[in-house]
Amino acid sequence: MAALLTATGSDYSQSMASATADIVAEEDVLIRRAKRSDARAFEALYRVHVDKVYGLCLRMTGNVSEAEDCTQEAFIQAWNKLDRFRGDSAFSTWLHRIAVNAVLGRIRKSKREQDRIQAVADTRPAALETGDSGELRDLAQAVDRLPEGARHVFVLHAVYGYSHDEAAAMLGIATGTSKAQLHRARKLLAQQLEEQGFEV
Amino acid sequence: MTETFDDKLNRAARQLSTEISPEHDLWPGIAEAIEPAPRRSRWTPMLAQAAAVVLLVGASSGITYILTSDSGGPVTQVSPELVFEQASFGTDYNLGPEFQEARNGLRAELDAEMDRLSPEARADIQANLDLIHNAIVDINAALAEQPDNVVLQQKLSRAYREELTLLRRVGGLTRNVMTRNDI
Repeated sequence: MAALLTATGSDYSQSMASATADIVAEEDVLIRRAKRSDARAFEALYRVHVDKVYGLCLRMTGNVSEAEDCTQEAFIQAWNKLDRFRGDSAFSTWLHRIAVNAVLGRIRKSKREQDRIQAVADTRPAALETGDSGELRDLAQAVDRLPEGARHVFVLHAVYGYSHDEAAAMLGIATGTSKAQLHRARKLLAQQLEEQGFEV
Repeated sequence: MTETFDDKLNRAARQLSTEISPEHDLWPGIAEAIEPAPRRSRWTPMLAQAAAVVLLVGASSGITYILTSDSGGPVTQVSPELVFEQASFGTDYNLGPEFQEARNGLRAELDAEMDRLSPEARADIQANLDLIHNAIVDINAALAEQPDNVVLQQKLSRAYREELTLLRRVGGLTRNVMTRNDI
């Protein structure tokens, strides 16, 4: 029985590894075609990755309209910079970096335009659109209310699992600053959730 | 061993969705930007951008006002007149009956709740709804000249959704104001 389970598990692992390899190979083909200005191949890449990119943008901006704009901007930038993608990291990670840059660039631009992002954040709360339910929705809303720096680090590190070094590099801050912002985020989240009656 | 708050927070954070589907297809806007397009005039997208900014800033100031205002004062009804210039536009956007039902329901709910707000707050909300209406009219005018302009189609769709969100938010906020005052 144990041997059967082992064999089945092994088969399953091989099958999953094979499927993953197929997906990566297919993605490589699409990337090569997109690099040759094949917009259809790029659209296929968009279809595969848009939820990951939009999810990150939505978590970082806390706002639906801004997340949509940042997602579009990220894919446009990705198209323009596709030649520079050498495959050192996964394509999704490369897209995430571009998306973070799009969000940061938009925030800088918006600050020059009278804090437009804040204005938008007032009208388009993200937490209703994320598909989170119950207590997770409460957490998502609390994350949306975090100050920008703390929110960005929390999203990249705690939600998306990037290390402090990776998050700091993406955000253009020191690793120590990333750690400090995470500490701040946790403290503020504890306060917010406690006020809402959650056991902290 | 008891679980600390940080442990609970980390666990919950990892359960948040990392892949979220946008409400509508964002590809047409991207395709327009990356594929060479025939020469087109620049004034309509700029007009749409300006209208969108007016819409968003206006909506924000309305909400901020409500949050900082007390309720009370004589009762007046806010005019419910916001028009649908187009029920559908382009190949991807169609304001179905659900949209119109949701909008009408929110509008009726808002009118009832507005009675609790001060005349100044009501006037401010009306001014902001007028701004949204004007933005929708402007974008529609631009779309009439360029019906296939995907960016304009997206802006119009967004403007309608912004209106719905504003109605929903203002409705929720007036309920909060009532709760605080009742206490």
